[in-house]
Amino acid sequence: MLKFYLIPGWRDPEFEATEFEIGKIKSKRKLFRRLLTPLTIAGMVMILFITFMGMYSPWLTPFTIDNLTPPDFLPETPFLPPSAAHPLGTTEYGYDILGRIIWGARTALTAAALPVIIGTLGGLSVGTISAYFGGKIDSIIMRFCDFWFSFPTLILVIIVAPLIGNSLYNILILFGLFGIPGSARWVRALVLQVKQNVYVEAAITSGAEKFKVMFKHVLPNAMSPIIIGFFGAMAGAILGFVGIAFLGLGDESFADWGTDINFGRGHWGAYYAVFWPGLFIAITAIGFMLIGDGLRDALDPRLHI
Amino acid sequence: MTRQARNMIKYVIKRILLMFPILLAVLIFTWILSHQMSINPALNKIPGVVVDRARYEAELRRSGFYDPWYVQLGIYLRRFFSGDWGESFVIAENTPVIKLIAQIFPKTIELMLFSIIIVPFIAIKLGVNAAKNKDKPKDTMIRGIAILGAGLPIFYIAVMLQLFVGAELRTFTHDQFFIEVLLPNNPILNPPVPTGGSGTGFRLIDSILYNQQVYLWDTLVHLILPVFCMIFVSLSGVTRQTRSSMLGVLDQDYIRTARAKGVAEKDVISKHALRNAILPTSHLVIAGTAGALLGSLFVEVTFNYTGFGYTMLIAIQSGDYLVINGLLVFSTLVVISGTLIADVAYTIIDPRILY
Repeated sequence: MLKFYLIPGWRDPEFEATEFEIGKIKSKRKLFRRLLTPLTIAGMVMILFITFMGMYSPWLTPFTIDNLTPPDFLPETPFLPPSAAHPLGTTEYGYDILGRIIWGARTALTAAALPVIIGTLGGLSVGTISAYFGGKIDSIIMRFCDFWFSFPTLILVIIVAPLIGNSLYNILILFGLFGIPGSARWVRALVLQVKQNVYVEAAITSGAEKFKVMFKHVLPNAMSPIIIGFFGAMAGAILGFVGIAFLGLGDESFADWGTDINFGRGHWGAYYAVFWPGLFIAITAIGFMLIGDGLRDALDPRLHI
Repeated sequence: MTRQARNMIKYVIKRILLMFPILLAVLIFTWILSHQMSINPALNKIPGVVVDRARYEAELRRSGFYDPWYVQLGIYLRRFFSGDWGESFVIAENTPVIKLIAQIFPKTIELMLFSIIIVPFIAIKLGVNAAKNKDKPKDTMIRGIAILGAGLPIFYIAVMLQLFVGAELRTFTHDQFFIEVLLPNNPILNPPVPTGGSGTGFRLIDSILYNQQVYLWDTLVHLILPVFCMIFVSLSGVTRQTRSSMLGVLDQDYIRTARAKGVAEKDVISKHALRNAILPTSHLVIAGTAGALLGSLFVEVTFNYTGFGYTMLIAIQSGDYLVINGLLVFSTLVVISGTLIADVAYTIIDPRILY
C-alpha cells in the first residue's frame, strides 16, 4: 500500500486483476460483444460471401447474364458433366451452372430484401396505427387481417402475378404486399405491449401529441423484436421466391437458383444441376436465420420466437 | 353449468357468426380474381378446331356473359350456397368441383396425417434433449438439424432424395441396390374400390375395407419419401420452440426446489419442466395443423402426388378458374374452422385462458 503512495504510476496487481475482471463483464454486456458468437459470425460470413458474389459477378465468371438466360442458346448439349470450361457442368440449353449461380446471387439478395422491406414498412405503419388508435380503425384492420390470413399467400401470388405481368419485381412487390397483414398483426401486438408501460402514460399526461408519443416513446421500444423478425422474414422471403421459380413461374430473364432446380429435376443422373443451386439457396437462407438468431440472443434474450 | 363454460359457448357462437362475413368476403374476392383472368371458358367448352359462331354465342348467353356484374355475382353466391360449385372444364372435364375435392382431399390428408402425428413426438424429444445438454455436442447437432430443416427448401430435399434413390444409388451399386417400389406407382395395380362400389376416398382405408393387401402395401411404401420430406421440414419449428421454452423453464425456481428435495432428474424433466414448457409448443402444433392439412404444394408437385396442392397448381396453369375458386374457398373454410378449433383447444390445454 505504501508503494502506491510513494511510487508514481504504480498499480496494485491484485486490484488491477479485479478491475480487469469487471471491465470484461462490462464489455460483455455491450451489444457488440454479445453479438459475436461463432454461429452469428458464421451467418455473417455466409451473407458476406453471397453479397460478394452478387457485387462482383461480372469479374467472377466469363459469362454475361445475356448468355445465361433463355433468348440465348449456347451451341452445346444440355446437362454436360463438369469440365474445365464448365466447372460445375451445364444446365438446360447448355448454360453454365457456376455462372448462373454467381449471377443468381443478385436475384437472390433482391428477392430477400425487397419483399421484406415493403412488408415491414407497411406492417409497421399499419400495425402502429391500428394499435395506437384502437376502436373502430383497429377492429376494421384486424378483421381484414383475419380475412387475409385464411388465404395461402404463395398460391395467391401464383394466381395474381400473371395478371399484372410475370416480371421479377412484380412478383417480389406482390410478396411484400401480401406480407403486410402478417407483420401488421405482429407489430400491433408489440406496440400494445409497450403501450402498457408507465412512461407512455407519463408522456400522455404531460401533454405530448399522439403522433409524438407513438413515434418517440412507443415505437423505439418495440424496435428490437422488429429488427429480429426482419432477418427471419428475409430467409422466408428467399425460400418463397425460390419456390415460385421452382414451379416454373419465375422471371426467365434473370438467372435464378429455383429455376435451375426446376430444369434439373427431371434429368436423372445430372445431380450437379440440382445440387449446387440448392446448396447456395441453403447458404443464403441459413445465413439470414443465423444472423436473426444471434441478434435475438443479443438484443432480447427473453424473447422466444 | 359453470360461468367459464357458458362464456366459452358464447365465444364459440360469436366466432361462428364471424365466419360468415369472412366467407362472403372470400367468395367475392375469388369471384373478382376469376374475372381478371385472361381465359376464355366458352371456347374450351366447344369441341372441334373451327368454332361455330352460333354455338359460341349460345354458350356465352348460357354462362351469363351478357348479364350485368351484380347478376353474375348473385348467381355465383346462390349456386355456391346451394352446393353447386360449378364444373371443371380443363383438368377433369365435366366433373363437379365438389366431387373433385372429395377425390383429392383424402389423398392429401393421407400424406399429411403421418407427419402431423409423428412430428410432435420426435420434435419434443429432440427439443428436450437439446435443452438438457445445452451447449454440448448433442445440442449443437440437434440445432444443426433444426436449422437445416428450416433453411433447405423442401423441394430441394425432395428432388435430391428422388435423384439419390432413383438414379445415383442405382448407378453406384451397378443395379444391385434398386428399390423399384420407391419409383412411380405400378400401373398394373387397380384402385381398391371395385366399379360400382362406394369408397371413402382414403386409399389406405379403402384397401383395408376391400382387402386389397398388395395395393395397401404399395400405397404405404410410396408414402415413405414424401412423408420423410414433410417430417424433416416441419420438425425444425417445433424443435426450436420446445428447446427455447424448455431452457426458460429450467431456469425457474421450482425446478431448483424439485432438484433440492431429491426428485430424480428424469422426473424433474418429464414432470416438472416439460409440463410447463409444452404449452407454447402445443399452441404451435395445434395452430399449424389446419394449414398443414392442406398439404405442401412443393412435395406434391415433386412427387407427382395428385393431392390438393398439385391439383391447385395444374388448375392455375391451365386456367381452370372454377376449380381454382372452389379449392381456394375450400382451403379458407378449412383454415377458418381449424383456427376456431385451435382456439377452443387452447382453453382445454391451458385453463388459465379465459374468454
